[in-house]
Amino acid sequence: MLRTVFGESMGMLRKQTMSGLRGLATSAEQAPNIKKFQIYRWNPDTPEVAPQMKTYEVDLNKCGPMVLDAILKIKNEQDATLTFRRSCREGICGSCAMNIGGRNTLACLCRIDRDTSKDLKIYPLPHMFVVRDLVPDLTHFYKQYKSIQPYLQRETHPADGRENLQSVEDRAKLDGLYECILCACCSTSCPSYWWNQQQYLGPAVLMQAYRWLIDSRDQASKARKEMLQNSMSLYRCHTIMNCARTCPKGLNPGKAIAEIKKQLAFD
Amino acid sequence: MLSLYGTRGLMNARSSILKPGLLRGIKTIPQPPGNIIGTVNDAYVPPPPKKFDGSLHWTSERIVAIGLVPLVVTPFLTGASTAVDSTLSGLLLYHCYVGFQSCIIDYIPERVYGKYFNYAMYLLLFGSGVSAYGLYVIENKEGGLTKVISKVWKA
Repeated sequence: MLRTVFGESMGMLRKQTMSGLRGLATSAEQAPNIKKFQIYRWNPDTPEVAPQMKTYEVDLNKCGPMVLDAILKIKNEQDATLTFRRSCREGICGSCAMNIGGRNTLACLCRIDRDTSKDLKIYPLPHMFVVRDLVPDLTHFYKQYKSIQPYLQRETHPADGRENLQSVEDRAKLDGLYECILCACCSTSCPSYWWNQQQYLGPAVLMQAYRWLIDSRDQASKARKEMLQNSMSLYRCHTIMNCARTCPKGLNPGKAIAEIKKQLAFD
Repeated sequence: MLSLYGTRGLMNARSSILKPGLLRGIKTIPQPPGNIIGTVNDAYVPPPPKKFDGSLHWTSERIVAIGLVPLVVTPFLTGASTAVDSTLSGLLLYHCYVGFQSCIIDYIPERVYGKYFNYAMYLLLFGSGVSAYGLYVIENKEGGLTKVISKVWKA
């Protein structure tokens, strides 16, 4: 208690007691388990310096299990200039989407490979403009999301002036679609989106387009379908299926796009 | 997933090897910074709706692709007949045409290459025309596509 009085924070005290307990449990201090992280660095303030991979060493015994824990540790202890987005640290906000070990995923849901003989490479989402380090520019992605009008549209309103009701079966159709957190992992893993992202909407946005197309309460299907009736917006999907493979939430945007194509087929 | 690793290297290689020779004369249309047209709050504007580029194109493509399967199998079972053979070669030509058209839209987009997109499409149309004439000749003088293939197979 004296320690807290003399200005030591409670956190420090707790840490000391914890390490004390661990010290009792395992008589010897664990040997450090160093893993190297290679992280993509680019600073817009020095545009003449080419992007580079910077290597950081992290002791996995003193770090949480996820990649986000590791890069937070690097930012806190080694390099405060490392820039990335993060928020919820539990895979529901979609902020920390990045390319980890060659796969687009959320840093907070991706476990660190315990094999320390291999370096872990972390890049920003591929084929996006980079704002800084691991932060991609998602403006165009959000503009595309806006264009599909992701909200309920009706001509008639319920007679009692209250909710638009939906049967249990109709609601079940939205499962596997509404869970999408728009992290852009799928869209940025799609080669078609890489080449033609200015015009092709990409798997994430198209899955949301489908989510509103099959919503039994929505009455704007005609306009929603007409928007996709060109060679670029929808039909640049060649069923490569990288989207379904990479989705950190286990959703299947490729299937949703196929369903839209089926709906439009004889439209 | 294959190209996830190699994109950066590939792009560099492409610009350094191909640019001096092939692409020197081709001027691409500069794209807006960050691909943003209008302000950041404006929604993306899709190209005008055109069913022949959209759903009808896709449906015909799929019907032809599915239709090709029995047409390819039939000659093995019943032997070649002119009707089956000419349908097969016609649909096969359309199938190839649509496939290459898709490649052109993907890799020589009008948005970036402007008139060169049209040139590529004309070239494809011309090539398909020549192929159509070739198929006509094969049907008339060689006794059909399947016969030619079986001849080449046995040779």
